[in-house]
Amino acid sequence: MAKRIVLDLDLCCGCRSCEAACKAAFNGEARIRHGDLVGEAYLPLACKHCKEPLCLSACPVDAITKDEVTGIVTRSAMVCIGCKSCALACPFGVIDAPLIRHISQKCSLCSDRKEGPRCVAACSSGALKFLSDDEIEKHQIGMRMVSKDSFYRRRS
Amino acid sequence: MKKVDPTFTTVKKTVCPFCSFGCEFGVVFDDFGVRGVEYIADGSSQGRLCPRGSAAALYLNHKLRSSMPTHNGKVLDWTKLSKDLKKALEKPANMAITFDRNLTIEDYHSILGFCNESGIDNIASSYFEPESLLRSFFRNSFTVDDIGKANTILVVGDPFNQVPMLSKSLIEWKLSSRENRLVVLDSITTHTSTFATDFLRCKVGTEPLLLMALAGEDPGSIDVSENTGVSSAVIADIAKSMKADNNGLILVCLCFAHTYDSRFLVEALDRLGSYSGCAVIPFVEFAGFEGNQQFGDILDKVKKKKIKYLVNFGELFPFYYPQVAKVLKGVSIYATSPIKYKYHTVLPVALNLEKQGTILTNRGQQALSGTISPASGARMIGEILGLLKSTKPDKTALTVPKSRIDVTARAKNILAKTKAPKKKKTLKLIGEKIAYDFLGLFGDGKIKINPLDAEALGLKPTDIAVLNSKHGKAEFLIKLTAEVDPGIAAIAAETPEAKGLFDYDLTDNIVNFIPTEVEIWRKG
Repeated sequence: MAKRIVLDLDLCCGCRSCEAACKAAFNGEARIRHGDLVGEAYLPLACKHCKEPLCLSACPVDAITKDEVTGIVTRSAMVCIGCKSCALACPFGVIDAPLIRHISQKCSLCSDRKEGPRCVAACSSGALKFLSDDEIEKHQIGMRMVSKDSFYRRRS
Repeated sequence: MKKVDPTFTTVKKTVCPFCSFGCEFGVVFDDFGVRGVEYIADGSSQGRLCPRGSAAALYLNHKLRSSMPTHNGKVLDWTKLSKDLKKALEKPANMAITFDRNLTIEDYHSILGFCNESGIDNIASSYFEPESLLRSFFRNSFTVDDIGKANTILVVGDPFNQVPMLSKSLIEWKLSSRENRLVVLDSITTHTSTFATDFLRCKVGTEPLLLMALAGEDPGSIDVSENTGVSSAVIADIAKSMKADNNGLILVCLCFAHTYDSRFLVEALDRLGSYSGCAVIPFVEFAGFEGNQQFGDILDKVKKKKIKYLVNFGELFPFYYPQVAKVLKGVSIYATSPIKYKYHTVLPVALNLEKQGTILTNRGQQALSGTISPASGARMIGEILGLLKSTKPDKTALTVPKSRIDVTARAKNILAKTKAPKKKKTLKLIGEKIAYDFLGLFGDGKIKINPLDAEALGLKPTDIAVLNSKHGKAEFLIKLTAEVDPGIAAIAAETPEAKGLFDYDLTDNIVNFIPTEVEIWRKG
């Protein structure tokens, strides 16, 4: 069953261990990034591996493909021409626009590593998880953060 | 001839030497060398690894890894170098031996043995990070299971950025019961403080005064509430909560140039630990070693022209503290380093990851496996010493005699620094320790500035800021944030460029880096 990376908002401590793990494995190119969410938190953003990826549709040279079994959306470094169409098409802004080596940086869920994505393995607070759709339902990830209960987490 | 198999890889398990947490991970090799790190699920940290650990392969394979000794950037051969040093050793009274980070306990003993047999009496630590003052607290062994027993935990500093591996246990403990009270003490808002039950956001540099107040002490009848910005009712309530908890903890992470008096802060921690009964647990990148004198004593002797040669074992000095090295005029500096530098005499040295030996961690002493071969040309400390003299290790650890500090005078000194008039168009720069910025290996180190200051200085988020202090000038990208108060700027002090901006004082001859006034303007 297809799995994806999910973030438990309650647990992320903003240490960027995930980004460091990704950079260290992919020649300094981070395929998971961090962003400020309107000053409230500092959280990782990774490719969602969409069911109908707009980046795939936008790619003029078919460098982006989707594996129908695992659901992983991958980008071929050999075919990519660095036109930025995928970066512009991505509704989540997770494909980096400032292109390195004139090719786009695209998360492949570390398909070269059988244990799963390195960012999930490295995550120091256990906030990143690699789960199937069924498991995501059970976890109710981010409930406490979304509920804004000051007991659990607050901005001082 | 050996056949190269492109699919062959091997994983060598090791203990991370980059902080005191002692995580285990694997280094992946193939026929061409180090390929990366592997996250080992059955390791002590269940495969989790902070940015320092992930950077291990980058550091081992650093493009500037030194392989030959150099003098001002020009290559020397080891024979010439050892000949020069042997000549210098003919007058041991003119030589000082110092050491900082990237040493094993065995390295330290070898250095002391060498000093003994060579007749060198000027031995000091050149590890100027305030965390080295926490070494005495390593008497309290610690595992993350200890967190679960506590009801009140006081955190000094920002462990979520400095020791991210602590975050999972701390967050889970906090979320497990409404009774659990997480108190965070810092002068800026941090990732850790956003999880706090009580955030004691004190004025910059006043942490020691607040800790003394929590310990029920009043040095020099100071109005703590007014001078730290934290109400006395809150202080009294937290002190009561700490005292009532038999398993309470004080978790400490100290940053470079974050407070005015690190020695006083450590004294205050000691007193608070005794008063409250809470164990003080230090988290450091490296615990440090002591010499037979402070580095300030070495500087005094340099001024009197008694010292002409300084040999530093480690990786930081003199490169990361250029403002201190500048004072050593007329002294020939020989320094071990894994990285090439274009000044002083550089001796290529192995990293702790490449050594067999012992390091001090929060779990006690841990063994380094030494299964990774040193980079080409890099030598072990023992090998370098062996070039000069055949010596036996000395296993007695040195301790600098400590004078009891005058807390009243120290408290008044902090107040004087806090209230000193600020020059126009300057900000007070303080240091942060952020694992992601470790040695600038992933580096996008940004300077944090309050939006109100940015507006007054005409700075925008996309600008590059030029920082100028009395010790140097450097450029950084800007992050506008209310995490720092107006008048304050914060930067990850992980690179020579950042560390080189800060001022220091020499109270008790300890080199103590302090918050520093800097001019800031937009580049271009």
